[in-house]
Amino acid sequence: MYILPRNQVPALTAALAEDYDLYGPVLRPGGGDPMFERAADPAAIRMDAAISYNPPKSAVFPQAERILSYRYDRESREAVLVRDDLVRPKALVGIRACDLTGLLCLDRFYLGQEYVDEVYRDHRKKMFIVANTCVRPFPQCFCVCTDSGPAPREGFDVALTGVGDDYLFETGSEKGEALARKLGLKEAGPDAAALKAKTVDESIARFDAEATENKAWISRVMNRITMGFIGNDVWEYIGDQCFECGACSFVCPTCSCFNIEDVNTRDGMTDRMRSWDSCSFEGYTRMAGDHNPRKPVEDRRNKRFFCKLSFSQSKKYLRPGCVGCGRCARVCPGDIGLPNVVTYIRREITKAGAK
Amino acid sequence: MSTHTGVCNFCGTGCGHLLEVGDGAVRGVFASPGHPVSRGRLCVRGWHIHELLATEDRIVAPQLPRACGRLDAVSYEEAIGAAAERLSRYSGDEIAFLASPRASNEDNYLMAKLARTVFRSPNIGLASDQGHADAADVLLEGAGIPAMLGALTEIRKAGLILVDGADIAKLNPIVGSEIHYAARGGAGLVTLSPRSTQIAKLSGTHLWTRPGTLRLALAAVAKVLVEHGWQDESFLRDRTEGFADFARYLSGLDLETLTSAAGLAPAEIEDLALRLSRAPSAMAFFSSGISGLDRASVALLFDLFLAAGKIGREGSGVNPITGICNIVGSYDVGASNLFLPGPRRAEGPAAGRTPRQLLAVSPSPLKALVVADRDEEIVRHADKIKGLECVVYVGAYDNPFVDFAHIVLPAASSAEADGTYTNAERRIQLNRRKVDPPAGVLPAWRIYADIAARLGASWAYTSSESVMGEIASAVPSYAGVTYAKLEKGHGLQWPCDARHADGTVRLDAGDAGRKLRFVAAGSDFPVPAASADFPFLLMAGKATYFWHRNNIMKKTQIPKREYNALLLLYPRGFVEIAPADAKTLGVRDRAPVNVVAAGGSMRVAVRISGDVKPGTVYVPYFIEDMVPGFLNAAGTSIDEDQDSTIPVRIEKV
Repeated sequence: MYILPRNQVPALTAALAEDYDLYGPVLRPGGGDPMFERAADPAAIRMDAAISYNPPKSAVFPQAERILSYRYDRESREAVLVRDDLVRPKALVGIRACDLTGLLCLDRFYLGQEYVDEVYRDHRKKMFIVANTCVRPFPQCFCVCTDSGPAPREGFDVALTGVGDDYLFETGSEKGEALARKLGLKEAGPDAAALKAKTVDESIARFDAEATENKAWISRVMNRITMGFIGNDVWEYIGDQCFECGACSFVCPTCSCFNIEDVNTRDGMTDRMRSWDSCSFEGYTRMAGDHNPRKPVEDRRNKRFFCKLSFSQSKKYLRPGCVGCGRCARVCPGDIGLPNVVTYIRREITKAGAK
Repeated sequence: MSTHTGVCNFCGTGCGHLLEVGDGAVRGVFASPGHPVSRGRLCVRGWHIHELLATEDRIVAPQLPRACGRLDAVSYEEAIGAAAERLSRYSGDEIAFLASPRASNEDNYLMAKLARTVFRSPNIGLASDQGHADAADVLLEGAGIPAMLGALTEIRKAGLILVDGADIAKLNPIVGSEIHYAARGGAGLVTLSPRSTQIAKLSGTHLWTRPGTLRLALAAVAKVLVEHGWQDESFLRDRTEGFADFARYLSGLDLETLTSAAGLAPAEIEDLALRLSRAPSAMAFFSSGISGLDRASVALLFDLFLAAGKIGREGSGVNPITGICNIVGSYDVGASNLFLPGPRRAEGPAAGRTPRQLLAVSPSPLKALVVADRDEEIVRHADKIKGLECVVYVGAYDNPFVDFAHIVLPAASSAEADGTYTNAERRIQLNRRKVDPPAGVLPAWRIYADIAARLGASWAYTSSESVMGEIASAVPSYAGVTYAKLEKGHGLQWPCDARHADGTVRLDAGDAGRKLRFVAAGSDFPVPAASADFPFLLMAGKATYFWHRNNIMKKTQIPKREYNALLLLYPRGFVEIAPADAKTLGVRDRAPVNVVAAGGSMRVAVRISGDVKPGTVYVPYFIEDMVPGFLNAAGTSIDEDQDSTIPVRIEKV
């Protein structure tokens, strides 16, 4: 472990900017809302910003992305394919533990199964990740319930933990070590690990008083969701409150579903567009022949939480699909973010137990 | 990539968003966390506006007819010259202008100015949403503000919320969301509706009325409230006039007749009257579109809330909700035959006729029509529009009007030009240009100014901001509006003038400068009745994905897929029938049936649904054939976009 003085953060971002496009928390002018986005100016990245409003997943899985284009000649029946090779090396600087965990879930979906998604792989390779420990929680956070924070455990090149005027600079890869050498960082003392552990413990201790927006005791409901032991009236109660906007999927660090559509352009080419999709949409599960296994909205909600919290799905992610970032609760028009759904299911369990 | 603050241009909620721009094109959208109305939320449409703004399915070159009637690309100079020359041949009722409630205030103001001052024509229309004109008229007469009297930002301060009719959760989802949050925070939520809509399902109380009787239910509640003396006496004395007339009017109504015609129990009426009286504050919401309210219903709703003292106070107000982004602004700047900029009522010769009214006359005097980015009218009068001598189309997107156009003038999209849009709560918001239009394409205001210049007018506009400068002097409630002020926060709510430099969140009864006045509702209350020949009452309404003929939605990907999913299931539309009725008729889900009314019929598929009561059926308005083939023929009241019903019978095919 090394020591990075806080006033040396600009040196870190400047060093990374030599080799990478930088993405990180940037404050929007005016309101000052933090957004995780491409920072043309490395100095714009704010390590002290609150958890970003949008999930960093757009850096590897953009909302709308051209994955190839082609021109089809009707007469000769020939198609000319053009594969974009626009993916540049990226550094994600200041990613929070929950979001990094989400990225690892995306990796397991896109790279860890039978088929490797080449488009995703191109985004993901040549990537440098500087994670940032949350030394105190934000009001919406519940990563302590989902075992995904407040400190990152894996998947980073560098993990920073703010302590006084310094950051503890922990390396997770050879690339991280090289950066430490390049910046000429001084080694942290032998008690650094204990200091980090103490800082993380203090952060966890603050959740009760400071992370007051959400609580989600997910371990209590996973069994029920896996086995389907949840009354239909509970799903209907949740479904009635679903506005079918798709926002929960769009802001979720682990939601990986996409739609593909070929779009004609004016120059005669056709772009194959990949875009974010959501299980809250009726058309999402519609199959050929107009069959739809999940037509009513409550069945589609049921699907979302099965995906996030069932054992069967967790085997794919090697963990639950919720990372405790609290974003879905903030953007949901129906106030049925994951923490509330967990509450409603627990309420039913309690009621059943009382019988 | 960079993100830019903007305003969603679909419905009248006016949510804030962040548009992601890269390589000169719109790439994505995210909800804007700091926006005072949407507070970091968007609906399914708003979450996909980048797909519309990025579409290449655009009109990119001016077009004029060449040989064989085909349109060919020409220069703006040639096309604008041709438009000016050909349009100048017409006068009086030979020419009309169809403005767009989707266009900016600046574009609409100049279109109206072009019509009124250059072509001397008061014939300007906004196509649909007659319902909003009715609401604006009542609220102008009663309170001096021809739009929402309360504020969307105060929904969570309301003690009681009454949703009247439309399914706000589907039409304006973020308004529905605010109402849902208010209810979860303890506000009472009552929906008066002839169907079980989503907002009805979210309401603690759903008063399930018979179709077409909302006004009767409102009259009954008002009568009970006044008869029990539950009105707000001190408020009535200090702030209002005309209560005695209203009380006299109510005393002439028969409560039992009203209640039973509305299909409600006396206890339900009394309970609502009592809750409305006792609530510390209360808001009413209704849609001003096709599933909106007619004039009498709005007047009764206004009078009821006035009697209860729930107007002109925090967390209170009677609130029309607009279905398209700039309906309120379109009326404010005079883009309608009913209102001059102000808005003030057009009287005498200044009150022209709308294109729809002119087309409805036989034989129609209309010969030339200028249309902005709008396609609603074409469904109703396609044959007559086809026969016009000159149709000029100004717009960013291709639509069915282009097939009948003689001159096509492409215009910049909302992301390609500066412009202001006024949402349902009178919030004027500036939407900045974020990307360049396709090569050479002009903003619409510039096109109108160029046509005017060809005809000798000297308009000295250099930007949309300079047009706003003139709007501020022509429209008293916009007097204090400047782009600099709009840009500082999230827009300004009019009236914004010398007395209210920072705008006006809602009507303040103490600051209204006049007394609030009860508005006569009339007593002509036709009650739709089923008969042996036509035993079902049919309601028509809109829904999320099928929206204003879908020309806009069809240019997106995900919303289009959702629309197509429904269209594939029900290619010719559907009629919702209660399970018990389906059993009696012997029809299964998706079976074809003929829906027959006195004036016309249509063949649609059955959708069995518990959301309608036996004896009533519901048809969503999204299939083109429905309008000319059925709605036009079967009900003139539907044509006026009002809460109305058509008696029908269902024939098994």
